[in-house]
Amino acid sequence: MNENRRQILEMLAAGKITADEAERLIAALEDAPPPSNGATAGEVKPKNKAKYLRVLVEADEEMTGMKGPTTVNVRVPMQLLRAGVRLASLIPAQAHDQLDAALNKHGVPLTLSQIKPENLEELIDHLEDLTVEVDGKDANATKVRVFCE
Amino acid sequence: MTPNFAVVGIQTPHWRMPRLWLPVFLLWIPVLLLSPLIFLLLVAIAIAARTTIWRLIALCWGVLCGLTGTHVHVNTQDAEVLVRIL
Repeated sequence: MNENRRQILEMLAAGKITADEAERLIAALEDAPPPSNGATAGEVKPKNKAKYLRVLVEADEEMTGMKGPTTVNVRVPMQLLRAGVRLASLIPAQAHDQLDAALNKHGVPLTLSQIKPENLEELIDHLEDLTVEVDGKDANATKVRVFCE
Repeated sequence: MTPNFAVVGIQTPHWRMPRLWLPVFLLWIPVLLLSPLIFLLLVAIAIAARTTIWRLIALCWGVLCGLTGTHVHVNTQDAEVLVRIL
């Protein structure tokens, strides 16, 4: 007996649903396609975890001052980002204020003390949905793409 | 998994280096030989950072293992730099 059928019978036994409702639910369960990869029905298949953060830059001569177009292709493993944030936790607390002030000064409004190993996974999860595309306007043909893969 | 090879390629307008496959795993030999010194260095860093030596080793190991898969490629019309860590 699978888990869903057991739950329906338990709800019937507890009086939460009537016999007719239980019959209809079981019938619906039998009509439903079998779950793939051994996952039970109702279980959400987890999305593929991104492994790399990718940065692609295509810059023109005007932007770089170099002859011809320049392309930059950087792939950073997510594992390295995780390790880097954990390593940042070694920075002494008294240095955090100075670092935050210096980052703010350069236009990065980040508070280092707020990045903790506890909320690291959440941060990485949100990075996986991140896609940044910047296209230059007019004569500037510079393109920047940041995404996870 | 720790990095085993690094691929490095540099090309300039006047000079072109063939892509080198560097056996990074061979670095374990000097690391093992220098392990007492490295351990003392890590102890000093752990004291300065007010953490335990084991946590510091775990963090360093995490960074080392995280390097695998890193890819940096910069290409211009007449120069190219490639670094891949495998």
